Amino acid sequence: MSVRHLSVERRQRRPGRPIRRAIVAVLAATALVAAGCGGGDESEEPGGPVKIKVWAWYPAFQGVVDHFNRTHTDVRIEWENAGAGQDQYTKLQTALKAGKGAPDVAMLEFQELPTFQLTKHLVDMGKYGANDIKGDYADWAWKQVSNGDQVYAIPVDAGPMAMLYRADIFEKYQLTVPKTWAEFKEQGQKLKAASPGSFITDFGANDGGFLTGLMWQAGARPFEYTAARSPDIGIRLDGDAARKTMAYWEDMVDSGLADTVAYGTTDFYSGLGSGKYATYLAAGWGPGYLASVARTTSGKWRAAPLPQWTAGESSQGDWGGSSFAVTDQSRYPEQATKVAMEIFGADKDAWRIGIDEAFLFPTATPILEWDYFVDKEYEFFGGQKVNEVFVPAYNGIGEFQWSPFNSYYFSQLTTNLNQAVEKKASWTGALDTAQRNITTYAAQQGFKVAS
Amino acid sequence: MTAAARRPRVGRQAVAGWLFVTPFTVLLVLFLLLPMLYAAKLSLYRSTLVEGEVFAWLDNYRQALGDPEFRSGVRRVVLFGLVQTPVMIGIALVAALLIDEATSRFSRVFRLAAFVPYAVPVVIGTLMWGFLYSPNTGPLSSLTDVDFLSSGTVLYSLGNIVTWQWAGYNMIVLYAALQGVPREVYESARIDGAGAVQTALRIKTPMISAALVLVTIFTIIGTLQFFTEPLILQPLNPGAITNSYTPNVYAYHQAFSYQQYNYSAAISFLLGAVVFVGSYIFLFATRRKSALR
Repeated sequence: MSVRHLSVERRQRRPGRPIRRAIVAVLAATALVAAGCGGGDESEEPGGPVKIKVWAWYPAFQGVVDHFNRTHTDVRIEWENAGAGQDQYTKLQTALKAGKGAPDVAMLEFQELPTFQLTKHLVDMGKYGANDIKGDYADWAWKQVSNGDQVYAIPVDAGPMAMLYRADIFEKYQLTVPKTWAEFKEQGQKLKAASPGSFITDFGANDGGFLTGLMWQAGARPFEYTAARSPDIGIRLDGDAARKTMAYWEDMVDSGLADTVAYGTTDFYSGLGSGKYATYLAAGWGPGYLASVARTTSGKWRAAPLPQWTAGESSQGDWGGSSFAVTDQSRYPEQATKVAMEIFGADKDAWRIGIDEAFLFPTATPILEWDYFVDKEYEFFGGQKVNEVFVPAYNGIGEFQWSPFNSYYFSQLTTNLNQAVEKKASWTGALDTAQRNITTYAAQQGFKVAS
Repeated sequence: MTAAARRPRVGRQAVAGWLFVTPFTVLLVLFLLLPMLYAAKLSLYRSTLVEGEVFAWLDNYRQALGDPEFRSGVRRVVLFGLVQTPVMIGIALVAALLIDEATSRFSRVFRLAAFVPYAVPVVIGTLMWGFLYSPNTGPLSSLTDVDFLSSGTVLYSLGNIVTWQWAGYNMIVLYAALQGVPREVYESARIDGAGAVQTALRIKTPMISAALVLVTIFTIIGTLQFFTEPLILQPLNPGAITNSYTPNVYAYHQAFSYQQYNYSAAISFLLGAVVFVGSYIFLFATRRKSALR
């Protein structure tokens, strides 16, 4: 009672006070909000090294960054892992669209380059001397990242495909290493008969890169597109080679020889670790991930060339592989180009980390021909010189063109094939649907689709 | 005091009132109204990879209304809501009535236990269920022969996650409402010869109908905007949970996977309209009971 009385009295005596206090509170709150929105730029200390922000998700990348920073005094890399694959692309696209928040240098897989290049967010590194190192790369790899003298990215690693298999399981069930896809199926049947819970492999219909790699090997070339001839594009996802590939896998899945667990999931990794899957159709970078997720199986794996469609041939496919690009938000495009060119480049110390710890498959010819790489015996593969398998695979990759709307392409391919796996559509029908949707989409986006 | 002398005081109070709501208003305008206006503007444009941005009037909306993927997503969440809402509210109501009746230590423990899932962040909860459902590593599939992530079952699995997460929360809301009912009412019911079950059904439930309407409307809005759970489970079986599984998931993928920001904005506004209409129909149908009048 008395307290309330007092406060009423005070209010009556100085009526202005609470309002003034309220004004102060409001102003303070508003200032806080405004400060929260602002987030100003950090100022560079004058004379110090230029800071270049890099987004990448290579395994064991910290060592490579440290090495670069030790050996460069004028430029300093600030590395951030913004997620692997699509996660990073989503963030990057959003930051590029927003006009701020993107790094100076971003890791981009080959298949994403036309997409980012088309939206004009990649700096032409040709202006800053990137063409000087053109000779260090295989022709097809350089074509993936450039358009004439314009260079949009510096290749880092590639994903030549091979078949990784469990030597212990092959021995236990007396399987022979298949040389053709027909033999692959026979071995699958043999394994199934001996061990009904096992699968010769897992078919990850959720990975567009994997699916495309398999079709690539069969000779499919879904897109005809280069930056030079944009907006003309040719789309042929439902060609004979693609159909042949998918009909084969439909049979493998329907007869219970191949499992259909999505790639990249715990289920998939546990299947690889437990021996449920006897082989893993992998890319050059695959062993790096395998070594970290199925560590207990170290020493039991071997690598063999991808089974062939025709005995005696050597057709290859690529799955992934990546590069460094400079975004248009970089304030220091020249230094950023330097970072993109030299972070791995053909630097043997950087690549020693890349090869030993990250299992990257280099694209730079000096590294590809380096004895250390070619003759390296991998403990994970029981001492096998696996690059004797991967290097010929790399050399057989050949040219390939990606669409400038890769997210849409991958999404259509995986969505429709997943529908096929779920038995809601036929596998070749899935290709037809994807072909139809992608054609419509491309036309909507203003491309001239050649029929 | 005369009226004339009082007027400036009222004015001052009004000023103070406005000043107190200013921080909220600033945040509301900055983080809700302005983004909404921006999205509304986006939805009227059409941007193509080749030609850039052009004004398109209602083309995006027209396209969305005829888009089979968007329509199937809307159909799915409406169907999901029709089943999910009564089941979950029913469970919450029964649980609330039970713990209201029993006052033992067990009921206090149960109250807390049922509420705990709500305290688990949705993403963590969904990831956890993802592991439980997983066919190779999950314990559930070794107990049963069911694949919880196949296209035929995944909607039920999602419904289970939502129920697990929200039933306890709704139960607490209903339980709090039950606490507000005067005890004398129960006493007179007992004197009139009503048993425990009859009291629960005929006295307690009608008396908390306002709270029931409230939790139901929140559930309807929540199910129509179904997003986090399907998005988190999607990598486990992208064949069953497609990119257009629910309208919100579809809007997300349109914007962030395909860079179709304009179309995504149009889908979001159409979904907003569906939510608004759905909520309005429900409120209108229950207008006599509603606490939201």
